[in-house]
Amino acid sequence: MLTEQSAYTNRWRQISPVAKGLVSLFGMVAAFAAGSPRAALLVAIILSLATVLGAGIPPARYLRVATPALFFLLASCLSLLVSLEFNHISTFGVSLHLSESELPRITQVCCRSLACLTALLFLALTTPLTDIISLMRRCKLPETLLDLMTLSYRTLFVLSEAVHETATAQSARLGYATFKLSMRSLGGLVANLAVQVWQRSQALHLSASARGNDGALRFLEPDYPGSHRAILSAVICGILLVVTAVYIP
Amino acid sequence: MSNAILSLKDVSYSYPDGTSALNDCSLTIRRGMRTAVMGANGAGKTTMFLHLNGILRSSAGDIQWEGTSLDYSRDGMRELRSRVGLVFQNPDSQLFSASVREDVSFGPMNLGLPKNVVRKRVEEALLSVGMAESADKPVHNLSYGQKKRVCIAGVLAMEPEVLVLDEPMAGLDAAMQEELTVVLERLHAAGMTIIIATHDLDFAYGWADEAIVLQRGRLLAQGNAADVLLRPEVQTELGSSPLVAEITRSLALTGMAVRVNGYLPRSRSELLKAISEFHRQENEQ
Ligand SMILES: Nc1ncnc2c1ncn2[C@@H]1O[C@H](COP(=O)(O)OP(=O)(O)OP(=O)(O)O)[C@@H](O)[C@H]1O
Ligand SMILES: [Mg+2]
Repeated sequence: MLTEQSAYTNRWRQISPVAKGLVSLFGMVAAFAAGSPRAALLVAIILSLATVLGAGIPPARYLRVATPALFFLLASCLSLLVSLEFNHISTFGVSLHLSESELPRITQVCCRSLACLTALLFLALTTPLTDIISLMRRCKLPETLLDLMTLSYRTLFVLSEAVHETATAQSARLGYATFKLSMRSLGGLVANLAVQVWQRSQALHLSASARGNDGALRFLEPDYPGSHRAILSAVICGILLVVTAVYIP
Repeated sequence: MSNAILSLKDVSYSYPDGTSALNDCSLTIRRGMRTAVMGANGAGKTTMFLHLNGILRSSAGDIQWEGTSLDYSRDGMRELRSRVGLVFQNPDSQLFSASVREDVSFGPMNLGLPKNVVRKRVEEALLSVGMAESADKPVHNLSYGQKKRVCIAGVLAMEPEVLVLDEPMAGLDAAMQEELTVVLERLHAAGMTIIIATHDLDFAYGWADEAIVLQRGRLLAQGNAADVLLRPEVQTELGSSPLVAEITRSLALTGMAVRVNGYLPRSRSELLKAISEFHRQENEQ
């Protein structure tokens, strides 16, 4: 839960999520508006520097959070580079083909994706999910979707705790001593978890109705002091970013 | 009783799997009182609480709010739940928002109050349980005791007339228990009716005005806590008697009739005060 931790402890925690959301949005616009791979790379660098230097996310942590996504990005770019070709001459009928003519376009796509990634990381690492959800609520996204997000998010922690506790209890009784026992314990864990999920959802429903709920989950949106100024600066920075991306050759 | 706020009359309830949890149970909660509900595991305390808030509906019998039967319509339930606040045993099953402040706002938002009122109530509730400085924390980073306090704040923010707490002290350390007792005392002083299910006999004896003892879904005893908890049948059912009462009794056998302001001491601190008072009087004579 590195993302989670950063979101709650970074220097920009108290800045309005609207402002941070706007920077991220403008970042993505800039990524798409970028006229060249170089411009897109520049956007990526600016956004990641903002996250690391501005919000004070340790670079090592930034890299660790970014690594899985970078891995996927690399894999998909490589697969774009290589294409399968059906030809009639070769014995197998199929051959791998390196598309050199496509190279500029592929570099462009990769750099743009990288810039988008940094824009998303900027939001994810500086803004807790609760804030993101309330931001989405303000954007009038469907209630059901948001309720689902709220509940899944909370359930994630409740469940990971339950998994942890059950697994610890099992290993305390030598449940994972041998391979055979491990398999058996794992089965027990899954079965137990299924029951727990069911019971917890029941309990959540009960306590929601006890607090007078009869439909959508409504919460108070957090108040951020001085958010107008933050939003204004976010818009200015965002526009500058887009302009840079467009005019860098 | 004239000041009855909630009463059960011959209420029976069986869970869908056939377990009979309440059996012709009749009892009365009085306004402004501190009521302790006791009984062995599985006696039906939690089930009874779920009835007070209208979450479970009895298969037989009647539940009344100030003498009128509960109205199970949508509006009736909304009204009842704004009056009777229920705090469950397990905090993890009732906190579903990620941040503390947001979760506490859930109840008052459901009441349909305007945002500024909700905001004010949330801050007040967090302050009264001593969680104001953790308001922006994510719920899953709190300790068990802190989660419990957030749950209580979540109900307090609805400003109920009756506060029902299912084993609030379980899992709290001594300092937290003491703090919670102070919170409850303040609410009681402000006129709130408080009902607590507990297995802690000493706490019940010291804290409660009224005691209700359940036995396998039935009422075993009800009345003044100091009397009820010392009854022989209650002592056999609960397996022990309040320590302070036992000490007072054995002191009396040795000729030390200790009293605080003319009453038998009910808590540890009262007992200690009574003993030193007794010695002071001895020395004066
Ligand atoms: N969801 C359920 N389904 C079936 N039976 C249940 C359910 N919940 C409780 N019971 C049964 O109802 C009876 C009363 O349970 P209840 O939870 O009210 O007891 P309790 O007095 O709160 O006990 P504890 O002190 O352990 O919390 C028990 O026999 C219990 O097994
Ligand atoms: Mg119970």
